[in-house]
Parts: sequence; structure tokens; C-alpha cells
Amino acid sequence: MTRLKDRYAIVGIGMTEISRNSGRTTRALGVEAVRAAMVDAGLGAGEVDGMLSYHGNDSTSSPTIAGDLGIRLNFYMDCSGGGSSTEALIGIAMGVIEAGMCNVVAIFRAMNGYTEARIGGTGRQAPVFTGASLEAGIHGMNAAGQSFAPSFMRHMYEYGTTSEQVAHVKVAHSKHASNNPRAYYKQRVTVEDVLNSRWITKPLHLLDCCVETDNGVAIIVTSAERARSLRQKPAYIMGVAGRVSKEQPGGYHWSRGPISRVAGYYGAPIVFGQAGIGPEDVDVTGSYDAFTFTTMLQLEAYGFCKEGEGGGYVSSGIIELGGKRPNNTHGGHLCEGYTHGISHVVESVRQLRGQADDYCPNWAAGEHTYDYSEGGCRQVKDAEVTMNLGWAMPATGSALIMHR
Amino acid sequence: MAEFLGARVAIAPNDPEHLGFLEAAGKGRFVLQRCAECSKLRYPVGNACPFCTALGWEWAEVSGKGTIYSYELVMHPIHPSFRDQVPYPIVLVELDEQRGVPSEHDALRVLSMLVNHEDRPESIEKVAIGLRVEVGFTDLGDGLALPRFHLSDEPPEHTPWSLKG
Repeated sequence: MTRLKDRYAIVGIGMTEISRNSGRTTRALGVEAVRAAMVDAGLGAGEVDGMLSYHGNDSTSSPTIAGDLGIRLNFYMDCSGGGSSTEALIGIAMGVIEAGMCNVVAIFRAMNGYTEARIGGTGRQAPVFTGASLEAGIHGMNAAGQSFAPSFMRHMYEYGTTSEQVAHVKVAHSKHASNNPRAYYKQRVTVEDVLNSRWITKPLHLLDCCVETDNGVAIIVTSAERARSLRQKPAYIMGVAGRVSKEQPGGYHWSRGPISRVAGYYGAPIVFGQAGIGPEDVDVTGSYDAFTFTTMLQLEAYGFCKEGEGGGYVSSGIIELGGKRPNNTHGGHLCEGYTHGISHVVESVRQLRGQADDYCPNWAAGEHTYDYSEGGCRQVKDAEVTMNLGWAMPATGSALIMHR
Repeated sequence: MAEFLGARVAIAPNDPEHLGFLEAAGKGRFVLQRCAECSKLRYPVGNACPFCTALGWEWAEVSGKGTIYSYELVMHPIHPSFRDQVPYPIVLVELDEQRGVPSEHDALRVLSMLVNHEDRPESIEKVAIGLRVEVGFTDLGDGLALPRFHLSDEPPEHTPWSLKG
């Protein structure tokens, strides 16, 4: 089970600007992100020979990106999917390298998530009710928040979880984003700000929901052996779980309960089993935050707290910079920008390198003040082990554990 | 042509399962697929039994009664069809049939907009987990109807709970 532990690593990371007006194609965003990751790793076009991407019919495929960069591929695959994809594709990259199909794999997500393809649609087109939408869409359930809300509400009913508790997720992530020059929303918010923001669908306020942005993000995976001769300190992969599902995960998962228990419940033994560690050994988490509740349910599912105690956990200060185990130190999807999870993995790599690109003048040299006040530092001191918790929906998730 | 809230209801010609479900509703019957092998009911429609993999099935009429298991109150519409429906409640109804099958936390749970007797969204103040509901049928045209739930006259199954604020 631990056969591949420490044998693969993330060696390069790249990101474009995060905006709501990229004015560019996903092709341009993908090319810039992949190239940035190559430069970061110190890899030339002749040294990358694998490419993976994920999309919702809203992106540009690997061969086009590779072609623009003069990369000849020995393997590529573009798969459909959202927030559970990055970790899953990292596992696939390890597998195809292990199989001898290629050596160095770039993984990217490029999206104009605000100006082109918005999650839940633009609202401009009238829907046609057909197929599975006859069981959800026709009843008025047409967007991610609407489809996750019954799971969130049931958690509140079963465990007494409150809006105030969950609002702390946004508060923590906004604190982190205030120290991230790239973040779309840098302003710190309070619990009251969240509770006073307008309702989207109860129990979700506007500020319980993530931002939609245009951006491209990339990472590069290769063997630990190859990693050691490259430019950056490798982030070694200890364990990975990809698109682990609950029963009947095809969108309509509510008949199998408890519905507030998310797929991470099944992913935890896989990923911790490979890594040979437990939640208590993790220094920094990157728990997907399409919504505040998403972060909480996943931290619970992976055993960072007991089932039902997520509200207490996320409001305890533990998940904030300066706390015991900060979550989404870049500000996450709630504040930094929306990338379908890949930016969370990029942030883990930065934390493990000691190179969180905050407002510390010499962050690139790994010099940090560890002063987490606004406009300051966001590096976690001595971050050794990170864990990413990806989410497609309550019934599907992925996870990744890395160490420096 | 079947239509609902200004949008087309388009059943693909190769989708007899959804067609049968909405046709039965058009005749005032709330039906689920029942496995020909293990006799378990399932929802939503699917092409095999999720409990035993058998392919054979038949329609089975069920009571259409249940209890609100979870819900949400949509305040901000996304699709144009629902712009004049907000605020509206979506409920997850746990049907009376087959509760706790195949294991403790499992049940037949059906999503529905909670509607009033005028077939409009129920007042959001009235929605709570634990309340009893009953199915009704919203005409879609072409002999089809959509099963949707409304509050029933039965007493709540347990102390009702709703999100305050």
C-alpha cells in the first residue's frame, strides 16, 4: 500500500493572474501557466513529455497547449471534471510514469470561470429539462450551491452546527488572502459580514460561496529521482486518493446516508494508509472551499475532528494562520480565486518550500516574518506535511498528502 | 409539446424510464422502479438495481407520503425559469416505503420543490425537517406530469426543525 510513497514529487508550479476579465482564451491562460511551471522547475520543452488536464467543456486540450510550447508528448489525456480532479490526476501521472509511458507530466486547469463558462450557467439561456435534470433541475436545483445545500442543512439539524461557526471558514480564508498579493478578494471579513451578506440559498449566504474568476494554473509531476536534479526543493508525494465516491455518486446521492457524511470518509483510509501517518501529523490543510461548509465537511470526513464536530473545529482558531493547522493559507476559492482545486495544491507546494509569496520582502529566499497581521506573512513556520482535500460534490472527493 | 415554467421538457426517444415516470404521473400515479430480482424500489430512475445489479424491473405505485429529511430555501434564482418563483423551498422527502434499506441511514429520498395547494412555491416560513408531506401532480402537457410534494395534514413525525434567521 505504501509502495509509491516518496517516489514522486511536484517539482514545478505556475499560475497566471487571477481576474474577472482575462481578455484571453483558455489556450493563452493554459500556455502561460504550463510555461511558468516549467520555468519554475527548470525544465525545457524537450524535457516535459506528458500532459493532463481537466475541464467542463470550457478549456483547451493538452495537444494544443503542448503544440504552442513546442512540447512533443509521449502521453496526454484531457478529462472531464471539476474540484476532485487535481489530486486524481496527480495519481494518474504517477501511474503513467511508473508504467514507463512518459517521464515528466504537466497538469493544468485553464478556465475563464467568470467571463465565459460560469458554474451553474450564466442565467442567459432557458434550460431544457431532460434526463437527470428531471429529478433536480426541474425542481429548481440548478447550481452547485443549490445541490449541496441539503447536505449542509442536514448537518446543522443533526449536530447543531450554526451559521456563525461555519462563517469562521470565510473569516480565516480572508485573513490568509489579505497576505496574498494575487488574491482576488484581499479584504478581511468578520463573522458578522458573512451573516449580514444576502442569502443565496439558505443555509448559504453570499459570503459562504466562493468567487468566480478567470485563470490558468499548472503543476509538474515527476519521479523523486528526476526531481532531485531540478531547480526547486521537491514536494514529495506520500499518498493520494482520487475521485473516491459514496454509493450512487451519479449526482443523485441522497438516498444513501448519512447525507452530511462526504466521500472523504472513504478516502481517508486510502490516503493515510499510503502515507503511513494520521491527521495529527498534518501541518497545513488545503480543504476545498467552494462553500464554507465544504471545507468543514471534508475536515470532518478525514478525521481532523470527529463527525459532527466540524463547526467547533473550524471556529476554534485551529484553521487560521497562527493556529495549530491552518487551512487554505492562500485564501482558497472563497477569496484567492476559483481554479477547481489546483491552486490549493500549488499553495501546499509553496508552504513546503517555505516560499509562500506573501508581502515579506524576501519570501523567495524563504525569509519570512511570521507576522500574520494584514499585509504581512502567510508562511506557516516549519511546514513539513501538507494535505489537500479535493471536492467535486458531497459524494465525490480526492486527497493528497505531501512532505518537504 | 411538454413545457414547464417556459422551458421545454424534452424526453429523449431512447429514455423510456423518464417517460414512464412522467406518464404515470400524468395519470395521477407516483411510481418507482421495482427490481425484478430483489424487489427493492429505487429512485431516481436507473438502468440496473443498485442493490443487486439486476437489469429487470417494473413500475410500482407507492403511497407518495413521506417526511422532510432536509431542505433549502432558494433566495437567488439562477435559471430564468425560476426567477418569478423565488423564494422557493426545495425539500428532500424521505418516502414511507423502504426506510433504513439497505442500511440504517439509507432510504428512498426524493427531491421536490415544496408547493402549496395552488401549485406555487410553499411559503418558506412553513418548511421544516420532520414535517409530513404528500405528493401531487403538476401538469406538463402532452399527458405528462411532474410529481411534486406539498405539506400534508398529518402531524409531524418528530419535533420540526428549521434554520433560524
